[in-house]
Amino acid sequence: MKLSDIMSNAGLSFYAQVALVIFLAVFIGIIIYTFAPSRNREMQAASRLPLEDDVILIPRDPKA
Amino acid sequence: MTLAPSAANIAAPRASAATLDRFSYDDDIVREFMWATLIWGIVGMLVGLLIALQLANPIFNMNTSWLSFGRLRPLHTNAVVFAFAGNAFFCGAYYSTQRLLKARMWSDGLSKFHFWGWQAIILSAALTLPFGFTQAKEYAELEWPIDIAITVVWVAFAVNFFGTIVKRRERHIYVAIWFYIASIVTVAILHIFNNLSVPAGLFKSYSIYAGVQDAFMQWWYGHNAVAFFLTTPFLGLMYYFMPKAAEGPVFSYKLSILHFWSLVFMYIWAGPHHLHYTALPEWASTVGMLFSVMLWAPSWGGMINGLLTLRGAWHKVATDPILKFFVVAITAYGMSTFEGPMLSIKSVNALTHYTDWIIAHVHTAALGWNGFMTFGMVYWLLPRIFQTEIYSRRAMEVHFWVASMGIVLYVVAIYSAGVTQGLMWRAFDETGRLAYPDFVETVLKLLPMYWMRVVGGSMYIVGMFIFAWNIVMTWKRRPVRYEVPVIEAAPLTPVYVDPHPVVPAAGLWARFSQVQWHRRWERAPMLFTVLSVVAVAVKSLFEILPTFLLKSNVPTIASVRPYTPLELAGRDIYIAEGCFNCHSQMVRPFRYETERFGEYSKPGESVYDHPFLWGSRRIGPDLARQGGKYPDLWHVRHFENPRAITAKSIMPAYAHFLTADLNFEQIQSRVDAMVMVGVPYGEAVNSAPAMARKQAQSIADAIVSQGGPRGLETKQIVAMVAYMQRLGRDIKVQNTADAAAAKAPAAAPAPGGSN
Repeated sequence: MKLSDIMSNAGLSFYAQVALVIFLAVFIGIIIYTFAPSRNREMQAASRLPLEDDVILIPRDPKA
Repeated sequence: MTLAPSAANIAAPRASAATLDRFSYDDDIVREFMWATLIWGIVGMLVGLLIALQLANPIFNMNTSWLSFGRLRPLHTNAVVFAFAGNAFFCGAYYSTQRLLKARMWSDGLSKFHFWGWQAIILSAALTLPFGFTQAKEYAELEWPIDIAITVVWVAFAVNFFGTIVKRRERHIYVAIWFYIASIVTVAILHIFNNLSVPAGLFKSYSIYAGVQDAFMQWWYGHNAVAFFLTTPFLGLMYYFMPKAAEGPVFSYKLSILHFWSLVFMYIWAGPHHLHYTALPEWASTVGMLFSVMLWAPSWGGMINGLLTLRGAWHKVATDPILKFFVVAITAYGMSTFEGPMLSIKSVNALTHYTDWIIAHVHTAALGWNGFMTFGMVYWLLPRIFQTEIYSRRAMEVHFWVASMGIVLYVVAIYSAGVTQGLMWRAFDETGRLAYPDFVETVLKLLPMYWMRVVGGSMYIVGMFIFAWNIVMTWKRRPVRYEVPVIEAAPLTPVYVDPHPVVPAAGLWARFSQVQWHRRWERAPMLFTVLSVVAVAVKSLFEILPTFLLKSNVPTIASVRPYTPLELAGRDIYIAEGCFNCHSQMVRPFRYETERFGEYSKPGESVYDHPFLWGSRRIGPDLARQGGKYPDLWHVRHFENPRAITAKSIMPAYAHFLTADLNFEQIQSRVDAMVMVGVPYGEAVNSAPAMARKQAQSIADAIVSQGGPRGLETKQIVAMVAYMQRLGRDIKVQNTADAAAAKAPAAAPAPGGSN
């Protein structure tokens, strides 16, 4: 008996539906979590990261 | 609330502030990748110009086998995707990653290895593709030794990248880095699984998948190569360089996170839209269409997010050429991600598939999105990496306008060509016959548009030279020694200390809702990466595995047999010459297709096709039912000089088939490799060369008897004729067998899923 025989009789479509539900649930969870008002301050701080990456600069010691 | 923990919280940052790390960024690697971007961009675009000329007039094939369209087209796509866009991504990623993570790259040695390894891979592509070493899978043409090298270099890049993340000094990982992570891990998975093959010599291999499965695997790879090599890396760049250029944060950071997760969740399913109405099972095709249409929403969310980053700064666009490049790039992203979902709708796809419309679509994206993001980014980087003023702002403006007009000319011409050809293929006259039965008519109609493309493409290249001139002139003004600023930043504390501690709520559910557990995940980039990989892998399995394992998806056809050794040799030449770049082997189940080409293709017909050769573009007619259509001599004359048969044909001449010797002994190793991937070859396992010689003799005799030249039995042409005459005949054989057996209606081949 080949693997394809086993898989053909395994009724796999059920798993696809389960996967759909799981992925949808995870995705909705991410949306809720991302847009939670409690994270506003954190998100605003994060969005400024590209603009703050070159603030603390000191010129190299000329002897180096 | 107790006092003790808060006291500890205050003490910890103070302790770390006392020991600030001093470090500097590695900008040498950024400069190196910038130069590579420029050089390979020019090379890739010039090859593109040459093949555009070849389509406008076959004279530009120069009767040289290694300069013919079929061999150079993969060189063009590989050069602009992996060399130009690839190096541009690395250039921007090395610059932004170090700064966003406040850490030098983990290993300068690995950065150097990545750079030189990648350039060596590109060079080996340029040295193998024109000579016919190809796997025949789009954007995965490179043969197995180069594939292994790509894997090694990519892993080195990944190790270096994740090493940098681990020793970062910024707790929060900015969203651009997320896009880089997704790109790095997904490209690795795609590359490895699509390139699994069995070698038959140093520069020849056969895909372990066949027919429908190979097609499915290839376009799972092919579409996600677009997604995770040309889209997500450049979105990462957009989320870093757009705020930089606009001097303000991204419009909505939350939207960018949503953008990320939506793309990661959906893109991986979209591949099958490249195979609508082919022998792919219909459920897979529908899944691909559905997810493609859904992708529209996050893509436009991302576009809007990018454009609105300019809120309050729109007036700067008028004066800042860098912002001009970014605005057009993001708009092109929006246009092509609107068009992509539209093209994936089956009824639209029926018109556009195999036509130039797809070529126009990818060029909107590649020239507009990838090209202009790269130009804007490099112009922004130049003063910083060369530590001087940019040489000419006026030249930037000229570059912008010349290249923009070039894009418009290119895509308008090729959109018209696509619609024209699609409509001509399906046109019937009032008597119910094909309005344009002669395929070449539908090609000749396009030639003026092909010339217009040459003009548009040339303008884009002129812009590229202005770009190069400006870079070189700026580079000449660089200081004698680059200043290397020292950065100070606090290392991450081994144990995370929340600057704004959350008081644990009473009760299990309340504590769960505080989602501190997810914040802990976010601070664990390795775990984050592993979970992303799992998400991508599981989704891929759910879509791909069923086609491999469910028998009902590929109904077998008893009369389909493996290619004879000589036909296999011919098929290898067909692959080496890149014939699949212009000729499909997949008749779709439409009346205008079956009228023109013959019976539509069935999934069971390509079970021995390692790799599949269904094609994605018809610059010439479909060949799935070519066998037996013309006498052997017709093929000999046609290969020798296509214009001797069809006066206006734009096909390159393949006169060298008549003079080049066929390597009969080599056929044995090819057959052996095919046996290893599961093709039942029977007696040919021991006697492939002898069998091939016998068949070659009979074909050569037939050519002579039809009035053709003598002495062709040892030449490549007999293998090509054998292969051409075999195409699509398995089912015809069965039909005659049915007729002989009489009254066996149920024995008709199993219908394709899409019918």
